[in-house]
Amino acid sequence: MRLIRCAVLEVSLIEIVLTPKEEVKTKIFLFRLSDFVTRQDEVDSMLDFLGLHSVDDLFAEIPAPVRKKNTKIHGKSGEYAVVKDAKSAASINTWNQYINFLGSGYYDRIVPSSVDSIISRSEFITSYTPYQPEVSQGLLQALFEYQSIMSDLTGMDVTNSSMYDGHTALGEAVRMAHGVNGKSRVLVPSNISSTKLSVILNYTAGLNTRIEKYRISDKTGYLDMDHLNALVGDDVSAIVTENPNAYGILDPNVASVSDIKKGALLISYFDPVSLALVKPPGEFGADIAVGEGQQLGIHLNYGGPYLGIFSFRREHMRKSPGRLIGETTDTNGKRAYVMTLQTREQHIRRERATSNICTNQALMAIAALSYLAILGPSGLKAVAASTMENSRKLRNEVTSRVKNSSAPFSGTNFSDVVLTLGKGEPEVAASLKRNMILGGIPLNRILSSPDPQRAHDFVFSVTEKTDNVQIERLISALEAI
Amino acid sequence: MSYHQAEYDEPLLNQFRSGSTYRVDTLEHTSDLGIPQKIQRNDLNIPDIAEYDVVRHFTRLSQMNFGVDVGFYPLGSCTMKFNPKFADQIASFSEFRDSHPLAPEEFVQGNLRIVYELQEYLKELSDMDFVSVQPLAGAHGEFSGILVARKYFQDTNQPERTEVVIPDSAHGTNPASAAMGGFNVVEIPSDGDGKVNLKALEAALSKKTAVFMITNPNTLGIFDDQIEKIAEMVHSVGAVLYYDGANFNAILGRTSPGRMGFDIVHFNLHKTFATPHGGGGPGAGPIAVKSRFREYLPVPIVGLKDGKFFLDYSAKKSVGRVSGTIGSFGVLLRAWSYIRYHGADGLKENSSFAVLNTNYLKKKVENRFDVPFYKLKKHEFVLSTANTGRRATDVAKYVLDHGMHPPTVYFPMLVHESMMIEPTESVSRQDLDRYADVLISAVDESPERLKERPLNTPVTRIDEVKAARDLKVRW
Repeated sequence: MRLIRCAVLEVSLIEIVLTPKEEVKTKIFLFRLSDFVTRQDEVDSMLDFLGLHSVDDLFAEIPAPVRKKNTKIHGKSGEYAVVKDAKSAASINTWNQYINFLGSGYYDRIVPSSVDSIISRSEFITSYTPYQPEVSQGLLQALFEYQSIMSDLTGMDVTNSSMYDGHTALGEAVRMAHGVNGKSRVLVPSNISSTKLSVILNYTAGLNTRIEKYRISDKTGYLDMDHLNALVGDDVSAIVTENPNAYGILDPNVASVSDIKKGALLISYFDPVSLALVKPPGEFGADIAVGEGQQLGIHLNYGGPYLGIFSFRREHMRKSPGRLIGETTDTNGKRAYVMTLQTREQHIRRERATSNICTNQALMAIAALSYLAILGPSGLKAVAASTMENSRKLRNEVTSRVKNSSAPFSGTNFSDVVLTLGKGEPEVAASLKRNMILGGIPLNRILSSPDPQRAHDFVFSVTEKTDNVQIERLISALEAI
Repeated sequence: MSYHQAEYDEPLLNQFRSGSTYRVDTLEHTSDLGIPQKIQRNDLNIPDIAEYDVVRHFTRLSQMNFGVDVGFYPLGSCTMKFNPKFADQIASFSEFRDSHPLAPEEFVQGNLRIVYELQEYLKELSDMDFVSVQPLAGAHGEFSGILVARKYFQDTNQPERTEVVIPDSAHGTNPASAAMGGFNVVEIPSDGDGKVNLKALEAALSKKTAVFMITNPNTLGIFDDQIEKIAEMVHSVGAVLYYDGANFNAILGRTSPGRMGFDIVHFNLHKTFATPHGGGGPGAGPIAVKSRFREYLPVPIVGLKDGKFFLDYSAKKSVGRVSGTIGSFGVLLRAWSYIRYHGADGLKENSSFAVLNTNYLKKKVENRFDVPFYKLKKHEFVLSTANTGRRATDVAKYVLDHGMHPPTVYFPMLVHESMMIEPTESVSRQDLDRYADVLISAVDESPERLKERPLNTPVTRIDEVKAARDLKVRW
């Protein structure tokens, strides 16, 4: 290591003084080579202090048989070489030459530049969990604001300061419901994605819960109230609803589930942007509301970091997972913020904690908070409405113009639109690729219970960024199949 | 050096009245969007603020926050090292940052190359056989590892293995993760040297043991040189040896979990590989396993065949998904950048300097504080303020007043009035000397005056009891 530190430089090697007359005076200090202190000198002096000869002495107690002989990866590089190599990897990505109709829970929305700027602040991005609240008031206040704005958005009493992503938030919600009522059956929609179901199964692996599916109507795309009602009994721990659901349909029936839930907790999985226009979970009796916050000013990042939004009714606070920031005062009575109810958490409660979560997504929570603050109510409504205008346009234009195409569900779409096409996956995928379009994932690849009847169903998703030219390109591609 | 953190009486966001100025490029839309009446929202009551006010608000808040870029941050067990800026720059390339998680493999070969190379780096550094980068944090990696072990014992028809054994010096996430996976936790005491008490381990191990979870070096900064014996004992009863990788920064290039005999490992990329921790997250917690556990790993992992990278779902007995996507790619990319920059030699050097700095700082303060388990330390050391008549928390608040971050306090729990100090490699001798001076001058201050600290921060000591009683958690 040759990190050279120049003693003289710390004073200033060249002093430039701007005089009142704006003439520049330059003063050059003379120095000798011995004024330089190298990293090696520093290391040597520290070793001397410790009475050691070499840094290897610091590892003397590692038994010879377990010592690592060599590490077969490359040597050191400079920054330029690393950035260049990363650029070369970036350049073999080709997705950006295509029009994007991918969605299904993660959306290519406009990210205001200010959001990126705010979460790039060194003081935020390079800090740790605010264990010392007196020097972390900025982060703590921001997280308190996040908890508040999310509670406003979801209509729920309380929101924690973040979970890893929407899927793990859902898994934790099912665990929390069991923690509240101790019951065993968990009812989920029949069209739940295989990914969400797998995460729920893993999160409940240690519990005596059993997952059962209630029907979603083949015609409307709404949950089947009669079937759900028939399944609900006193032994149901949680009922999971999705709005919009995996078919992209906004479902009015989710608002009636709390009437029939008996002792179960209602867990509502929501789309945060849709809540600008759609009744929030708190207004239809949800006990826990969870969602994926990626759309709120967080880049797609090929899978993360994202944001798990986790809101709940106040009475369940002590059973909830994750960190909570509370408002209090300092010794002078001044408003202050601090992590609270830590007795639920792993570092205090260990194996009896409500969850093992420690690291969360604090920075992404600040991204979502600043996104909502920058857009405000009118901006968020405009984004949601434009999305719906686009999904309606896509659905109407395709089904009216593309032969043998139809929309299998009569309900209204939010971002995702399922279309039945005349051909199967190989033909559809080939034509989309030829026409430089990404999207059209076979519905069966998403569902946890693929349906042979749906082999010709494909998912196309829009956002406020989608435009008419892109929709026309999609129609050409689908006509050419 | 005198210091005072910025201090604003910053209003909450809902107190601003400037009205949104942000222009969204959106479509004209009709009033009837077809939302069923029953689920239409009546009003959306969130703050309405000008963009300039939002930016100023968060800039001011940021100035009331301490980060690694502000000063020395030796928070034990958190490995708060310098986060290189080129890694952030790389993560901001649009080709990476704006790519969709469901994009088919052929369109994201660059992303997959990065993940594949990171998997290879982690395998080589840990001497393990297979890696899954899906877990989103260290604790999430632990939980995923526990799920892998659980599936393995189910699959090999050993339902009697219901216990996870954990030393009392372990991170709280260890027992919490084990419990989440449905195991009973059996805690064993440390021995007089702070190492695993072999007698207690022997007594705890049985046919009921599924997993023994440890970190080595442990939270006392002690490398347990009995590790070969421990591995043999655990394996001889048919149990799995789990490595909590939170302290991996102590041993890079010197030894590895694979060589020590571990079966399942997690890494904390935000610790060892310098990805920024964002005020508590995001992190990333990839796991690695020996070959016999490969079939149980979360899927997908990234494979390479005929020059093309692909998502490999072939693990037949996989636990499935532990999160929604392939993993926290933006974090993985930064870890890749860090490893790519330092290379094998640089990583080993970083570990060496981290350990050197720790032992140097320990020696600078050990004549004033109790340093239990007095031995050569690795990446961190634990002192006790009990002998000084001062509370650890009071000393910590004194440190705050000097522009540096205090150590972790009151952990590990087996040491009274403990301070757990991890300097990392990213600190000069000059700052270590200053830190030692500050710790020592804290105990030179009268106990009464110490109780009044901190004074150079925007707020003084905070009433945590009131916070827990009022539970005011929103505006």
